[in-house]
Amino acid sequence: MKLQAYHPEWAFRAALQARAARWQRQQLLSPEQLAGIAVAYPLDYYRPVWPLRVALFLFAWFGLVMASGFTFLITGESLFAAGAVHCAACFGVLELLIRERKFYRAGADNALLYAGLGVAVALIFYVFSVYLWPVSLAHLALSNGYLAPPLLLTLALLLAATLRYADAVVSAAAFFNVLLLVALLGLQSALGQALLPFLAMAAAGGALVFQLLLRRRMAGTYLADYYATCLLVLKVLGLVVLYLGGNYLVVREGNAALHDLYTSVQVPFAAIFYAFTAGIPLLYIMLGLRRADRPTLLVGLLALAFSLYTLRHYRSLLPPEIAALLAGIVLTALAGILLRGLRPARFGLTSLPDDEPRHFNLENLIQAQTAHAPAAPAGGFAFGGGQSGGGGATGQF
Amino acid sequence: MPSSPPDPYLADLQARGLLPPDQAAAIAAADQAQPFSLHYELRTLLYLGITLLAGGLGVLVYQHLDSIGHEVIIAATAVLMAACFGYAARHRGPFTWGVAPKTSVGADYLLLLGCLLFVVLEGYVQYQYHVFGTRYGLATAVPALVFLPLAYAFDHRGVLAMGLTALASWVGLTVAPLSVLTENDFWNTSIRSAALGLGLVLMAAGFYSEHQGRKAHFAFTYLLLGSNLALAALATSLVHATFNEQPVASTGAALLVLALCGGLFWYARRTQSYWFLILAAGYAYLAVGCLVGQVIMALPNDLIGLVLMVFFPLSALGMVLFFVNLKKIMHGSAGPATATTPPSNS
Repeated sequence: MKLQAYHPEWAFRAALQARAARWQRQQLLSPEQLAGIAVAYPLDYYRPVWPLRVALFLFAWFGLVMASGFTFLITGESLFAAGAVHCAACFGVLELLIRERKFYRAGADNALLYAGLGVAVALIFYVFSVYLWPVSLAHLALSNGYLAPPLLLTLALLLAATLRYADAVVSAAAFFNVLLLVALLGLQSALGQALLPFLAMAAAGGALVFQLLLRRRMAGTYLADYYATCLLVLKVLGLVVLYLGGNYLVVREGNAALHDLYTSVQVPFAAIFYAFTAGIPLLYIMLGLRRADRPTLLVGLLALAFSLYTLRHYRSLLPPEIAALLAGIVLTALAGILLRGLRPARFGLTSLPDDEPRHFNLENLIQAQTAHAPAAPAGGFAFGGGQSGGGGATGQF
Repeated sequence: MPSSPPDPYLADLQARGLLPPDQAAAIAAADQAQPFSLHYELRTLLYLGITLLAGGLGVLVYQHLDSIGHEVIIAATAVLMAACFGYAARHRGPFTWGVAPKTSVGADYLLLLGCLLFVVLEGYVQYQYHVFGTRYGLATAVPALVFLPLAYAFDHRGVLAMGLTALASWVGLTVAPLSVLTENDFWNTSIRSAALGLGLVLMAAGFYSEHQGRKAHFAFTYLLLGSNLALAALATSLVHATFNEQPVASTGAALLVLALCGGLFWYARRTQSYWFLILAAGYAYLAVGCLVGQVIMALPNDLIGLVLMVFFPLSALGMVLFFVNLKKIMHGSAGPATATTPPSNS
C-alpha cells in the first residue's frame, strides 16, 4: 500500500495545468499546446465547484453524526465498541471513495476524514479517562503531566493522517497539538512558565525551519505539490504564532490569566516584547516584499495592524476620530502613491494585477457591504434587519 | 516565491515532448522577470484608508454640527450626489433588455455612491426637518421608487439590490404597526406572511425576467433576495407548525416549499447555477424531512427512535449521492441547453 491515499500525481497535474493556463493567458503558450497539455495530464478525479463541495461536506457530516447514534444502538450501547466501529467505518468508506470513485478533497471525503479522526481522538481520551487515570478528574489540568501521554498519541495519529491524506485542517490540528505539548512542558515548572512566550516562539520557529527543510527536500518531486497546502498551513501558522508569542498584549494578558490576576500588570523583560511587537511585522513585510512571498506579506500586514491595536490598547495617543482621520489620510495617500508609482514595475514590484484569476471579487464585496437598506427612522421596524448581502453577486455557480 | 532554477513543471513538459526547449527557456525567463503584483493589497489598503477617512470626517462633522450648519451639509451632499448621477448619466449606454455593454467602471461605482448619498440625504432631511412626518412608509418607499427605475435604466444589479432592500423595508414598516394592536405571536405571523408575499412577488419577477428575456441577468438578484425571504419565512412556519402538531398547515407549507424549490431547480438547470440548486436541494430536504417526520411520529413509540436513526443517515446519503451525480442531472436530456443565452429584443 502506498503512503499517499490520493493519487500522488493529481496535485502535480492540477498545479501544472493552472500554470499552463496562466502561460497561455500571457501568450507564452499556444491554445493548441494548452489542449495538448490537458490531454497529457488528465484531471480524472472528482472535485466539484466549491458550493457543491460545501454541500457535500455538510450532508456527509450530518449523515455521519446521525449514523453514530445508530452504531451506538447496534453495538449494544458500549461507547468503546461504537467508537471503534464508527472510526473503522469512516476510514473504510474514505479509502473506498478515494480508490473507486476518485474523490479528491470533494467535501464528502473531508467529512469522513474529520469524523474518523475526531472519533479516534475521542476514543484515546475515553480509554485514558476510564481505565488509566485516577477516578477524580480534578487533577486534569495543563499544569500536571496527565495529559502528556494521550496528547502524544493524538499527535502521532494526526501526523500519520497528514502524511497519508495531506489535509490542511489535519496538519493545522497537528501543529496545535505540538503547541499544547510545549505549553504542557512549560507549565510544569515556574521557570518554564516564565519562559512560556519564548517556548511558543521557539516551537513556531522550529515549525518554520521544519517546513523549509521539507520544502527543499521535496523540491522537484510530485510530493512538493501533494503536501503544498500542508506546508503552507505550517508556514502561516508558524509565522502567526511566532508573532503572537512575542506580542506584548498577548504576553501581558496571558500572564495575567495564568496568575489569576484581575488586572494585568507590567511583565518582566517588557523591552524585549516591545521590540518583538514593533519589529516582527516590519520584518515579515520586508521579507515578503523582498522574496515575493505573499503569505508572509499578508501575515505581516495583519500583524502590523494588531501591533497598532496593541499600542492603542495601552496608550491612547489621540482621540479616535482624529486617529482615524490621520490614519485614513496616510493610508489613502500611501496606497494612492504606490498604485500610481508602481504602474511600470519597479524594484520587482507592480501595482497592476497579475493575470491570475482571483476567487475573491472585490467589486461584489463592496456592493454587498454598501448595499444597506435606508436606515429606518426610530420607532419603526426594520424588515428582517434590512441588509442584502450578495445582492450584486454574479451567477457563475 | 522565487522559483528555483529548474522549474519542475517545465522540465516535465519538456521531458514529455510537449514543449520545445527554446519556448521552455522563454517561459522560464518570463516567470523570472514577472514582477510581484501588489494590486489587491494596495486596493484593499486604499479602501480601508477611505473608510477610515470617511468615518473620521463623519464623526468630526457630527461633533461640530452647530458651527457648520445643516444647510451647508445638505447642500454639499446634494451637490455630490448630483455630480455622481451626472457622471453616470453622461456615460450611460442606450437602453436594452439584454446586458448593456460596460462603458466605464468609474460610472458604475459613482452611480452606487450617488444612490448611497441619496439615502443619506433623505435620512438627514427627514431627521432634521421631518419632511415625511410620521409617514415612515412613504419615507422608505421613495428610495425603492427611485432605485428600481435607475437599476433598469443604468443596467446595474447593485442598485437593483438596493431598491429591493428598500422595498422590503417598506413592507416591514407598513406591516409593523399592526404589532401594536395584536398579540406577540400574531405579530410574528403577520411579518412572516408579509415576507412570504414579498418573496413570492420577487421570485415571480425573477422567473418572469428569465423566461421573457427582460433583463434576464436581473433574475439572479430577484431570485436570490426573493427566495431567501420566501423560503426562510416558509421554513419558519413549517418548523413552527410541525412542532405545534398542525398537520394541515405544515403539509401546506411543505408543499409550497417544494413548489418553490421546483422553480429554483428549473432556473438552476437553465442557467447552470449550482448556487440555486444547492439552495433548492437544502430547503427541499427540510420540507421532506418535516413531512416524513410527521409520519414517523405517528408510529408506535418504541419504533420512532430506530426509524429516525435509519432515516436521517440514509437521507443524508441520498443527498450526497444526488450531489455526486449532479453533472448528469444538470446536463440531462431535459436541460434546455440553447436557453443559456437570453434573447435580447430591444
